[in-house]
Amino acid sequence: MDEIAITVKDLKIRYKSVQAYSIKKSLLRLKSVDTKAFEAVRGVSFEVKKGEILGITGKNGSGKSTLLRALANIFSPDEGTIDLHGHSISLLAIGVGFKSDLTGRENIMLSGMLLGFSEQEVRDRMPEIIEFAGLGDFIDMPVRTYSSGMHSKLAFSITAILETDIMLIDEVLSVGDEKFKKKSYAKMKSLINQRNRTVVIVSHNLGTLEELCDTVMWLHDGKIVRMGEPKAVLKEYREFMK
Amino acid sequence: MGRFINDMKRYWRYTVYAAKSQLKTEVANSYLNWAWWVIEPFCFMLIYAFIFGYMLQRTELYYNIYIFIGLAIWDFFNRCVKSSVRMVKRNKSIVSKVYLPKYTLIISDMMVNGFKMMICLLITFGMMVFYRVPVSPLILWMVPLLIIVIIFTFGCCTILLHLGVFVDDMANVINIVLRFIFYLTGIFYNIKAILPEPAASILLKGNPLACLIDGLRSCMLYTQSPDLPLIGIWLLVSLALSALGIRTIYRSENTYVKVI
Repeated sequence: MDEIAITVKDLKIRYKSVQAYSIKKSLLRLKSVDTKAFEAVRGVSFEVKKGEILGITGKNGSGKSTLLRALANIFSPDEGTIDLHGHSISLLAIGVGFKSDLTGRENIMLSGMLLGFSEQEVRDRMPEIIEFAGLGDFIDMPVRTYSSGMHSKLAFSITAILETDIMLIDEVLSVGDEKFKKKSYAKMKSLINQRNRTVVIVSHNLGTLEELCDTVMWLHDGKIVRMGEPKAVLKEYREFMK
Repeated sequence: MGRFINDMKRYWRYTVYAAKSQLKTEVANSYLNWAWWVIEPFCFMLIYAFIFGYMLQRTELYYNIYIFIGLAIWDFFNRCVKSSVRMVKRNKSIVSKVYLPKYTLIISDMMVNGFKMMICLLITFGMMVFYRVPVSPLILWMVPLLIIVIIFTFGCCTILLHLGVFVDDMANVINIVLRFIFYLTGIFYNIKAILPEPAASILLKGNPLACLIDGLRSCMLYTQSPDLPLIGIWLLVSLALSALGIRTIYRSENTYVKVI
């Protein structure tokens, strides 16, 4: 029997009654703060086998990124469960979080440690990350001096070189300039092709999903419309989007 | 509690590294770099000593050191509390991309401010030598007193981190509250000498910072023991506050990202 890497059961994620409010507004209204509920993910259940590449697509606001963040344990489920079966996980997203006053080198250390690697492990992989990011002398400059492209290059390099069991990829396949785009796409393919790594990719690029994924999930308004063989699912999705 | 210990083990190296990097950055980014950690409290001590010691003729023994001890502790508490209110929003780019227990951000910040406080306390020792302050073994009480200051500050910061996510103008409220507490803590005056009874006793017992700073001054400058039952009570309150804060953060931290 195939080993399961991710099990999601009846997952619901709402944005409700958690908006920040100001004391002044609350006092002026003299009643409770507006608590409009919006359900971004509505009872989603699926499983991803170890080594499987799952692509998720859907129009803007369909709940793709929310689902990805829930898998990365950044959002808590309002209902349902997510079981990663003890696997390590990392989210690769455009503009990954850095401390802007610290240098690129220090941010590599911090990001690596947050992904669960030891100081020594990150130090050992540091030259490889720096070389892949190709930032030159900027690596020792504060990250606030970086352009958005440089930000993304560094973010991509950290997650691509420091490999976790499960990789979550959010629209990152078009990072940086043309040269880096090609390099990152090749690296992504090589990472994905390692059959022991489970990958979940969120993308609007249907060609990429068709080429890379074993399974594709089409999300619409927080629900799974279709999930299965990429060609068939994407054909239906293309027709829907016409 | 088990989860807290496991998370502390897992994220300890990250927390320490983040604090070290922050200190290095502060040094690199300023003209007089680390000297500001000393210059700022030293200048405030001179200002208070001039206004209250010279112009208003306060006559506390070792008045300069008296103020300096108060300022070292107050600055630590004040900086940590102010920064905790906006902690999650300030670290939005990190907390929205990767999971980490949010109180580790507080601990890292407390390490940075704690390091600055320790520098101030080292200067205090230098001043004690300079003014030939008599010292007794009772000075060792400063260790448990500082630990209680740290636990109490952590407890306050965890609660404020949580509230700061949901209440937009919490930072404004906290600024006002902190200014009020500053004047009620006796940083630059002796509560017992200035206020009549029972106000002085109420303040020294009911304001943990006033109680702890008074205890530190007693054991460091006047060879006296602090009020042990009272600091025992504040230790318990601080532990309870920290436990409540950690529990609250664990329960709600994954909704923070939805708000910010």
